[in-house]
Amino acid sequence: MSEQTKEKTITVALAGAPNVGKSTVFNLLTGLSQHVGNWPGKTVEQKTGVLRRGNLTMNIVDLPGTYSLTANSAEEQIARDFLIKENPDVVVAVLNAASLERNLYLVAELIELSPRLVIALNMMDVAQQQGMKINAKALAEELNIPAIPIAASKNQGLDELLTTIEREFSQPPGSRELKHIEYGSEIKKTIDHVEQLMDDSISAPYPKHWTAMKLLEGDAQINKMIMERVSTGQSTELDAYLRENEAAAVTIAILRYTWVEKMMAVTQEKPPLGRVSLTEKIDRAATHPILGLFILLMVLGLIFGLVYSIGIPIQKFLDVHLIQKGRTLVNTSLPGVPTWVRSLLANGILSGVGTVLTFVPILVFFFAAWAFMEDVGYMARAAFVTDRFMHLLGLHGKSVLPLALGFGCNVPAILGTRIIDSPRSRLMTIIVAPLVPCTGRMAVITLIATAFFGRAAIFVSIGIVIFSLIMLIITGLIMNRFVVGGEDSALLMELPLYHLPNPRIIGLVTWQNTMAFIKRAGTIILVVSLVIWVLATVPHGDINTSLLAHIGRLLEPVGRLMGFNWQVMVALLSSFIAKENTIATLGTLIGGQGTSLTIQLKALLTPASALAFLVVQVLFIPCIATLVAIRHETKTWRWPLFTVAYQLVLSFVMAIIVFKSYAYFK
Amino acid sequence: MDSERTEEYLEAIYKEQSKGDSASTSFLARDLGVSQPAVTDMLKNLENKGLIDYQSSKGAKLTDIGVERALGVIRRHRLWERFLTDVLGMKWDKVHEVACKLEHLDVPEVEERLAVILGDTDTCPHGHSIPDQKGNIKEEKTLPLASFQPLQRVNILAIDEGDSELLRGIEEKGLKPQVVVIILKKNEDGSLELEAGKKRIRLSAKLAAVLLAEPVAIHQPDVVKETTPLSKLVAGHSGILKEYTGERSLLGRCLSLGFTPGSVVKMLENFNNGPVLVKVHDTQIALGRDLADHISVTRQENE
Repeated sequence: MSEQTKEKTITVALAGAPNVGKSTVFNLLTGLSQHVGNWPGKTVEQKTGVLRRGNLTMNIVDLPGTYSLTANSAEEQIARDFLIKENPDVVVAVLNAASLERNLYLVAELIELSPRLVIALNMMDVAQQQGMKINAKALAEELNIPAIPIAASKNQGLDELLTTIEREFSQPPGSRELKHIEYGSEIKKTIDHVEQLMDDSISAPYPKHWTAMKLLEGDAQINKMIMERVSTGQSTELDAYLRENEAAAVTIAILRYTWVEKMMAVTQEKPPLGRVSLTEKIDRAATHPILGLFILLMVLGLIFGLVYSIGIPIQKFLDVHLIQKGRTLVNTSLPGVPTWVRSLLANGILSGVGTVLTFVPILVFFFAAWAFMEDVGYMARAAFVTDRFMHLLGLHGKSVLPLALGFGCNVPAILGTRIIDSPRSRLMTIIVAPLVPCTGRMAVITLIATAFFGRAAIFVSIGIVIFSLIMLIITGLIMNRFVVGGEDSALLMELPLYHLPNPRIIGLVTWQNTMAFIKRAGTIILVVSLVIWVLATVPHGDINTSLLAHIGRLLEPVGRLMGFNWQVMVALLSSFIAKENTIATLGTLIGGQGTSLTIQLKALLTPASALAFLVVQVLFIPCIATLVAIRHETKTWRWPLFTVAYQLVLSFVMAIIVFKSYAYFK
Repeated sequence: MDSERTEEYLEAIYKEQSKGDSASTSFLARDLGVSQPAVTDMLKNLENKGLIDYQSSKGAKLTDIGVERALGVIRRHRLWERFLTDVLGMKWDKVHEVACKLEHLDVPEVEERLAVILGDTDTCPHGHSIPDQKGNIKEEKTLPLASFQPLQRVNILAIDEGDSELLRGIEEKGLKPQVVVIILKKNEDGSLELEAGKKRIRLSAKLAAVLLAEPVAIHQPDVVKETTPLSKLVAGHSGILKEYTGERSLLGRCLSLGFTPGSVVKMLENFNNGPVLVKVHDTQIALGRDLADHISVTRQENE
């Protein structure tokens, strides 16, 4: 085989700050070939994708968005560890041309690692709109690094970017001399001294000079690593020296910004027009402490309005036409098949997994609305206006977003807590999220409320939702105070410029989230559905004599405190698989011919116990999918088990109080 | 006479070339005060002697031999300047012109004696390095004062100009090489306000461009000006960031988001005890109140 036709595979890493359109670039380059997973040992999303170009296969890795390479967060650590340990063939620094000043800081840090670097100057269109003139060529010459102007949202310049990556790769490593930043003799002396205090290969795999700088910058991870490796005497000396030179971190940062300004002077030929930007105009309202909250409520109201007016009818349609008809079909048209197989198909799989899947349309709406808000830049504003309240609960401004998602389904809410960078606030959000009433619970609540309270049903339903949210707040206050340890970390985030939504990105994000949910339903929920089906079937194939019924009867004494008989307890237990299963289970357990479920329910529950049932249903232990998500995100069984215990007690205590007081006041 | 002219040319080309460019005919004509055709003639002459590479489109660049000769002249020039100030007690704004005449006296023994008398001096009175006998010169890594940011402490190393009026102006302000100053404010017209010693100085844009300096680490906050926590700034007002006193673990994060000393922070939203919204380095950033309490700023007068 000749050189030309030889297949080659290279690794290309995309680095950049958040809000520079890096994911847009990544999505455009890799399309649907991408694989979304987790970075090893972390709950930070890892996105990789493959791009083929002639004989060249590029494995593209989307590094987490970071402002710098000093490890203040898991994202930053992942990004720089990847750069140092995996040594990608080409590193593409994606910069936002419209706010270059901030973005060049990362370049200043990347240069220190001396990779094969290519700069993608994204959002050139936005910069132009703002009256800026950016000279990519001048920047490239000044840095001696290729700089390609692109506008990813308009799909412009990507081909040139790829050609440049290819060309850079074909050049031998080190053939470009990178221009390092001048730190001046004083800082240099300080860095040299730190280097002298370390043994030669002690910093491996990190370069020694770089390590010394990170030590001076106060990098927690590097500090811990070095202090563990050096002898006690050395560490005391090193520590003392670093303390003495604490100001160096600030000086280094200032010098980087001085360097950045020099680059700016060369690159930005015309500054943005001085006019008040559209973003600032919108933000006068959107970040206003009162008006901003009002806008947030309107936005959420609009999303819920859409979900309930379009998503829920679709869900009902699917439920009736796919699940219920499917069950009938399975039961009637498979004559040769044994009864237990038919039961497995109809009651186990269709009722369990099938019902969960009917909620997909609702989730698609939520996911799309979520992706839309994120893409236009509204999310950060929502976090800002709610932060003052969220803070009281030990939550974070950003918590409002996963919690809002929880109204659709708690599972994506738990997964969505990843956007919260403070570990403590994140855990707090995970703990309270299951108290957000999801659509599954709302389906049960609406049905029961309609059956018992007629015209007042809507008020009862709303009341139950508010009650649940009050419980959420109380839980937050208690957990913040007594259960979750550690210090609360402060809010610190960028509010990106608003921009027009990119349908492609929104579509892709919605697709990924939906597929992840379906995959979950297809695995864990399927397994649990089957287990419950087995429990409800063995030993005689009759639910009234099944193991599940036994469990229900065991629990009946507890149930009686709330006016429930064993069937109701079993129905409640079945909500563990999926919240909306309660209705299906009640249907099976009290199923007679000819009468509607409403009439049967009235025979089973009094208004008092119905109200208690609503309370217990909305607060009961999270469904298995949610618990698995909690386990997945906290990496320990401690928190899912805690949630089970806490919500079990909370729901029963509250339901008993409601039941007893209802009877008392009647 | 002929060699004097040659040396003037070599010196001028060297200075321009050490800034990274080749010397154009128009630059040389301006710098040496002669007509362009005269320059062109002279450059051709120098090229014939193998001292420079000359292309009419790009200008002149010294050859290795040219560099060697130029450094010899520069060494003598700077040594003489030192001699004139340190030994003869002349003012630093007068010595440049005299040294321009003396530098052409190429007698090795005089040069040697001069170096002995002056001892281990390695800079001229204006702060520029003196090449050693073998023609090695310490590279100067300096930036004009005008390119630093407010609140940065810098050490003045050299003055990029021999003009006596400018030098007098600089001396009157109490500035000279090895003086550490703090930049307090940058004005619209390019002039700077500095603190030197305990005095506040205003420096014209012209002076700010010729003073060359290098940054100094900030050890002690010795800018005596009242500071307030960022959280006390009213919406619409700006301040210059002074220091961060909060948790060290958040320092790096703050720095990388642009909260560096000297940055201008504008308060956009500040409502009783909620988080605040500020603009720094052209980006809107939301930060919690506890964090804003730990960032101190000096209020900027509203302009």
